[in-house]
Amino acid sequence: MTSLVVPMSALGDAVSWLGDLSHWQGQNGIPILTYQILKLSFLALVIAAAIALPIALWLGHVGRGGALAINITNVGRAIPIYALMVVLAVGPLGLGQRVTVIALVLFGIPPIVTNTYVGVRGVDRDTVEAARGMGLTAWQVLWRVEVPLAFLLIMTGLRLAAVQILATATLGAYFLAGGLGFLIYDGFSRQDQAELVSGAFLVAALALLVEGLFELLQRRLDPVRRTDRAGGVSVPRV
Amino acid sequence: MRAKRMLSLVAALAAVVLLAAACGGDSNKLKTDNNGSGGGAGKHVVIGSAGFTEINLMAAMYQLLLEKAGYSTSIKVVANRELYEPALEKGQINVVPDYAATMAEFLNVKKNGPNAKPVSSNDKDQTVAALNKLAEPLGLKALDPAQAVDQNAFAATTANAKKNGANLSDWNGQKVVLAATPECPDRPFCQPGLKNTYGITVTKLLPLGFGTAQVKKALTDNKAQLGLVGTTDATLASMGLVIIKDDKGLQEADNLVPVVGKGFTSDTTMADTLNKLAGVLTTDDLAQMDKKVDGERQKPADVAKAYLQSKGLL
Repeated sequence: MTSLVVPMSALGDAVSWLGDLSHWQGQNGIPILTYQILKLSFLALVIAAAIALPIALWLGHVGRGGALAINITNVGRAIPIYALMVVLAVGPLGLGQRVTVIALVLFGIPPIVTNTYVGVRGVDRDTVEAARGMGLTAWQVLWRVEVPLAFLLIMTGLRLAAVQILATATLGAYFLAGGLGFLIYDGFSRQDQAELVSGAFLVAALALLVEGLFELLQRRLDPVRRTDRAGGVSVPRV
Repeated sequence: MRAKRMLSLVAALAAVVLLAAACGGDSNKLKTDNNGSGGGAGKHVVIGSAGFTEINLMAAMYQLLLEKAGYSTSIKVVANRELYEPALEKGQINVVPDYAATMAEFLNVKKNGPNAKPVSSNDKDQTVAALNKLAEPLGLKALDPAQAVDQNAFAATTANAKKNGANLSDWNGQKVVLAATPECPDRPFCQPGLKNTYGITVTKLLPLGFGTAQVKKALTDNKAQLGLVGTTDATLASMGLVIIKDDKGLQEADNLVPVVGKGFTSDTTMADTLNKLAGVLTTDDLAQMDKKVDGERQKPADVAKAYLQSKGLL
């Protein structure tokens, strides 16, 4: 019985905590904290993509070195990120957003590399051969055949990275980088359940929102229309 | 209807069980109290430990000392005071190393409610006396407190300590950025204490925790001038940090003290054995031992043994 009562009341408290206007104002107000975490996450995602996409696209294109790249980048997943941040922060980088962004970049690279590589590598070899046969350069094959056909998986990688980065960016609060993680940290320290649950709720909601946004982008930007994809499969080959 | 009858049946059963437990407890108490004042020979002592480095070390030292005095011992790790304190009352755990003021306030709140007036102070003997006043009706007893104290403290760089002074009262009138826990503005020993006791104004609080690497980094980068740490933190010196002395006694007397439970409160052998440690253990000793375990990955039992041997207690 009690095990049910406690979380329910914590949820209720969180709702009234979120309803308190004073929590939406000032330096540690929800809007500023949300802006901070989005900025950190966006920066980290852009940098991670800038590093991971070219490497993975090229490796996928030449069809070699993928396993190695995936394994190397997966180190980013294996490192305990909090420990990494402490090490970086104690070093010359110092406290603040830089440490957080760098750690998040390392965390965001693996899903992008894995999905992009698998996506490009998985493009039908016959299609690629046909494109080559038509006289397309390597660059054209990559850009006009492989990337469009691998688009869904590439986007999946970016989406996974974005959600992981956003959720992990909460740790920034422990390094003076701000963000919604502050509510979790502060709530935990003050034993303020309502604040803690509110923070967790806001981060989860934001992550879902980002996930939805990527889903939408994926559909809008897909160079190979959904119908074509479906058609392509059902049309018997001659 | 049916549910109601079930409920009353359960209640009745619970009452019987409780009664039986109470009776069992009483007879148990009589038995242990009878030979309570005897020597240590053969008696088994369960030492409780809250499970973190410093308390693990204390428990290991108690174990070595008590075994030397002829007890057989075992260590039981119970993380929370909320759990080990009742276990002490019941005799499931017989002695536990604890912090005097924290334990006193725990019993105070337990007896007088969350808004109880604090009973502890910055004086260790006074605090232990207050602790014992609350402990006695529960069948618990605190032995002698050690010199060693694990308190909150404020650290600064040696440069800032030289500039502003080695005592917090020297910092009177200073405006500082403070690296501490987020709840610091609410806690009397923290931001309000700095203001009211020492006249130090905190212009900005960096929420970086208690004695974390981040707190120390903020100090060494001069992003903060004061940082909240523990008195038994032995890593400060190597980072060029020093504790600014709490010369007006803002912090409470969280000296390490053995709290003994049911069956052992009148055991003079145990009291004599553990009080020997209280006579020698200093804050710096404890800090060095903490460092050996946390920083050098030595085993608490080995560190405890080496220390006791160096003091001629083993």
